Amino acid sequence: MDNVATDKDWKVCFSQLGPGLLLFARQWVRSRTDAEDVVQEAFVRFWRRNRNVDNRALLYATVRSIALDLIRRDSRRARREAQALSDSEQAVEPQFDFADDSQCALAAAVDRLPHDQREVLVMKIWNELTFGEIGAALGISQNTAASRYRYALAALKKSVQLR
Amino acid sequence: MNDFSEIENELMKLRPVQLSHEFAARVEQAIADPESREGKIIGPNRFRINRVALGFGLAAAAVFVLLVRVTTDRAPGQGEKIAQNSPAVGTKSTLSNQFIPAGATQVVYNTRDEGLHFADGSEAPMRRVRYQTHETLRWHNPGTGASIRVSYPSEEIVLIPVSGQ
Repeated sequence: MDNVATDKDWKVCFSQLGPGLLLFARQWVRSRTDAEDVVQEAFVRFWRRNRNVDNRALLYATVRSIALDLIRRDSRRARREAQALSDSEQAVEPQFDFADDSQCALAAAVDRLPHDQREVLVMKIWNELTFGEIGAALGISQNTAASRYRYALAALKKSVQLR
Repeated sequence: MNDFSEIENELMKLRPVQLSHEFAARVEQAIADPESREGKIIGPNRFRINRVALGFGLAAAAVFVLLVRVTTDRAPGQGEKIAQNSPAVGTKSTLSNQFIPAGATQVVYNTRDEGLHFADGSEAPMRRVRYQTHETLRWHNPGTGASIRVSYPSEEIVLIPVSGQ
């Protein structure tokens, strides 16, 4: 009976994890709408199976896997989107609520990070996963996750100092 | 890590865009609606497509082998007219019809770990690994010294059960 989840349970979990999950999903699909589709599919499926979010590594692995499947399913469209994004950086919807210009620049620096570093950073900072959980979700060792995180911070620090 | 505490604090001040009401409502509807249930992450049609592609590859290879064999079978027939009185040629002609498998190689040129997935009807996650290979089959005819080699690309997806956690 302990496993019975109420309506309130998933809403609490979703409101807490949703923004971070959305940010995580947008690394692969640059439009907010696609990211919402990915998160919706992943969360609904995950919640129906588990009725809790104790295994966060698996939840993020599910989001990642659905996002990658979406890209493969519609690779032509993804290429067009990537082309459109490279043509016009302004078309990228903001992923953060900025308080000032320095935050805007920092977010842009995050966006420029290599993909493997960025996904670890997003999982660590805005989703508060441990390196163990990140490693499990990405299929890498805990040490590799920690190392990518440090590389990401070093690159961001350098980028901030240059400004 | 102390070197990075400042940049970490700056990053933590960045707030991800909040969920829209429309999106939250959509998720609520999807959770409440059993009709919207999705079966699994990997659609079965993905496997079907891969198997079909592999099937086409093998079928094409088989047709190629048959065509090549027909072509090589004709060559000794012309030779028989030139040396029709020699019984030794007759023996060789019999042997020339026999192509013996001489070997097969499978070169894996790319392996991609595609992360964790739920297989059909499975509660436990499985790791999906995609192997892209180049396979070569060889036949040799000891009578004529002819050999046939057929190469084709193939793709294999392996699901490895994940335990622990």
